[in-house]
Amino acid sequence: MKLYLLPSDKILDFVAKLSEDGLVFYPVSEDDKTHLVKFDKDKEFEPDFEKVRTAENIKHFLFPSRAVVAKFPKDTAVKAKKQYLFGIKNCDLRGVDIYDRVFLNAEPVDPLYKKKRENTILISADCPEPEDCCFCNLVGLNPYAEAVCDLNFTKIDSGLLFEAFTKKGEKIIDDNSALFKEATKEDEKERSRIRKNAVKKLNKINEKPFKEDLAERLEKVDEKFKHEIREDCVECFACLHACPTCYCFLLSDYKKGKEFERVRTWDVCYYAAYARVGGGANPRSSLDERFWNRFLCKFDYFKAYEGIYSCSGCGRCYRGCSAKIDIREILWKL
Amino acid sequence: MEAVNPYYSIPVKIKKIIPETSNITTFILDGMPIQFEAGQFAELTVPGVGEAPFTPSSSPHGDDLEFTIMKVGRVTSALFELKEGDQVGVRGPFGKPYPLKEFKGKEIFIVGGGVGFAPLRSLFLALLHNIKDYKKIYIRYGARTPNDIVYKHLIPEWEKIDGVDILLTVDVGDDSWQGKVGVVTVILDEIPVDVASSPAIVCGPPLMMKFVTQRLVEAGFKHSNIYLSMEKNMSCGIGKCNHCRVGKFYVCKDGPVLTWEDVKDIEEPFL
Repeated sequence: MKLYLLPSDKILDFVAKLSEDGLVFYPVSEDDKTHLVKFDKDKEFEPDFEKVRTAENIKHFLFPSRAVVAKFPKDTAVKAKKQYLFGIKNCDLRGVDIYDRVFLNAEPVDPLYKKKRENTILISADCPEPEDCCFCNLVGLNPYAEAVCDLNFTKIDSGLLFEAFTKKGEKIIDDNSALFKEATKEDEKERSRIRKNAVKKLNKINEKPFKEDLAERLEKVDEKFKHEIREDCVECFACLHACPTCYCFLLSDYKKGKEFERVRTWDVCYYAAYARVGGGANPRSSLDERFWNRFLCKFDYFKAYEGIYSCSGCGRCYRGCSAKIDIREILWKL
Repeated sequence: MEAVNPYYSIPVKIKKIIPETSNITTFILDGMPIQFEAGQFAELTVPGVGEAPFTPSSSPHGDDLEFTIMKVGRVTSALFELKEGDQVGVRGPFGKPYPLKEFKGKEIFIVGGGVGFAPLRSLFLALLHNIKDYKKIYIRYGARTPNDIVYKHLIPEWEKIDGVDILLTVDVGDDSWQGKVGVVTVILDEIPVDVASSPAIVCGPPLMMKFVTQRLVEAGFKHSNIYLSMEKNMSCGIGKCNHCRVGKFYVCKDGPVLTWEDVKDIEEPFL
C-alpha cells in the first residue's frame, strides 16, 4: 500500500485537471445537508469532504432513474460521458458493489450500466464524522473504502492522503504526479487516528450487532410483527427511492413516430401493483407483506445469492422517512 | 466489445392467427426468431404498447414460433387487436427448460388447466419428437366448458398416437359433451403411472395448480418430480428487475418451472 499526499493548495488544481477529461462531481454542504455538484472552474470551489454521504444517493450516475435501454426496430449503441465522482463515501460504494454484481457480473451484462461504469471514476473519501443515522458497521463496512473505488482519500491537516485501488486510479496519480508528494509516516499515522476515531464513533452509535442468524429470524416472524413494525408507514416510499442499494426497475415501451423505445425506470417493491400479474393475482397484496419484502430482499435473499447484505447502512431510509421508522430498530428486535 | 443488448426485441411478423376459444388465441409468428427449449419463455412485444412473458406453445423443433395467449390485461388486449402480417417483437429465450434428459425412459404425467395447456403443448411436442425415449405420455386436461378447450382441432390427432393417453374434463358440460364433468382433479382419481419415478408436469390457473399439487403429493409423486409453471409478474426476464422473485427464486432465471420441492415452504406459492 502506497500513499500519496495531495497538499491542500493543490486540491483545486487536481480537480481542475480531472475536469479537462470528464465531468467532476464533488460534495458541497448547504445548511445541514451535502450534495454532489458539478465542478465549474469559473465558480467557487468549496468542497466538504468531512460530512457523511450526500443527501441524495449516487445511483443515478450509473443507473439513471429513467433511461432508454433499447430502440426499435433498429437499436443504437449506448453512450456515456466520462465522469469523476470525487469524495463519495464508502456506503455509496456498497451500492456500486451491488449494481456491479447485478448488472455487470451476472449474465447477461446490462450494456448501459457497463458503459456508464467504464466511464465513471470512483474517488471516495473517508467518513470521519458518522451521524446518528449511520450504521455501515452493522452491514460489514467501515467508514472508509477498502474496495470498489479507483482511488480513496483521507482528509488530513496538510491535504488529502490518497491510496489507489485500481490501475485506473494509479494512472490518475501517475498522470498528475507533479501535484502529489510522497506521504510520510506521520501522514499515515494521522490517517489511522482519523479512521480509528470514526470506527469508535460508529460503534458507539450502533453498539448492538445484527444477529448472526438474521436470515432465519426474518423468515420466522409472524403476521402480528409484520403489521406492528409498519403501522406508522404512510406509504410515501421515500425509504426505497432514497436507497443506494435498491435496484428494482420496470421496462415500459413508448411510441416515437413509427418507431418505439424501451424505457427503464426505477421501481419500488412497496407499490401495490409491483408483483400483480395480468390475470389479477397478487402475491403481496397487503402492505404488511410488501413492507416485509424489503427486509427479506435486503437481509435474506440478496445475502443468500451474493454473500453480502443489500444495504449500505447509509441511513437515508431513516432520514427520508415521514414516520421515522428506523430499519435498525426493526432488525435489532428480531 | 459491445455487450449484446438483452432488452432488445427481435421484430417478427404474425403469420397466422387461430382463435382457440372466446378469449384464447394462437399467434403463429413467421419463423423462429429465437432458439428455445421446451419450458423456456420469451417476452412478446406489441410495438409501442409493451411486452409480457409467455412460454411458446409450439415445438422447439418446428419452423415457426407460436404462442397461445389469453386476453387478460393491457398487452394481451393490444395483441388481440393485431392482424396477420402485423409486426410484434420477441426477446428471449429466458429461464430453464424442462429437464428432458431426466424424463428419459419414464412415464410422463402432464396436467393442464385452461390456457395452461400452451406451454404443456410445447413440452408434449418436444416429447413426441423423440417419443421412443419415453415409456408413455399421459395428458390430463381440464377447461371451464367444452368451448374453452384449447387445441380442439389437434387433440383428436394426438389421441391416435401410440404411447399417448389423453383424458379431458370440463367444469360445466353441454349437450354435445360426452366426456367427464368436474374440475381437473376428478380425472386425477386414478393415476396410472409409477408415482415413485414419474415426473408430473403441471400448468394452469393458481387455484388449479394448488389443488392438483395437493393431489399429486397425496398420490405419492416425489416433491422434486412435480414440475410447476409459476406465473409471476415479470419485467426484464433476465433476473435483474426483481419483480418475479418468489422466496429465494427468480422465476425468470431459476424457473419459470420450479418443483414442489423448491416452493413448498413458500406461503401461497401460486398467488
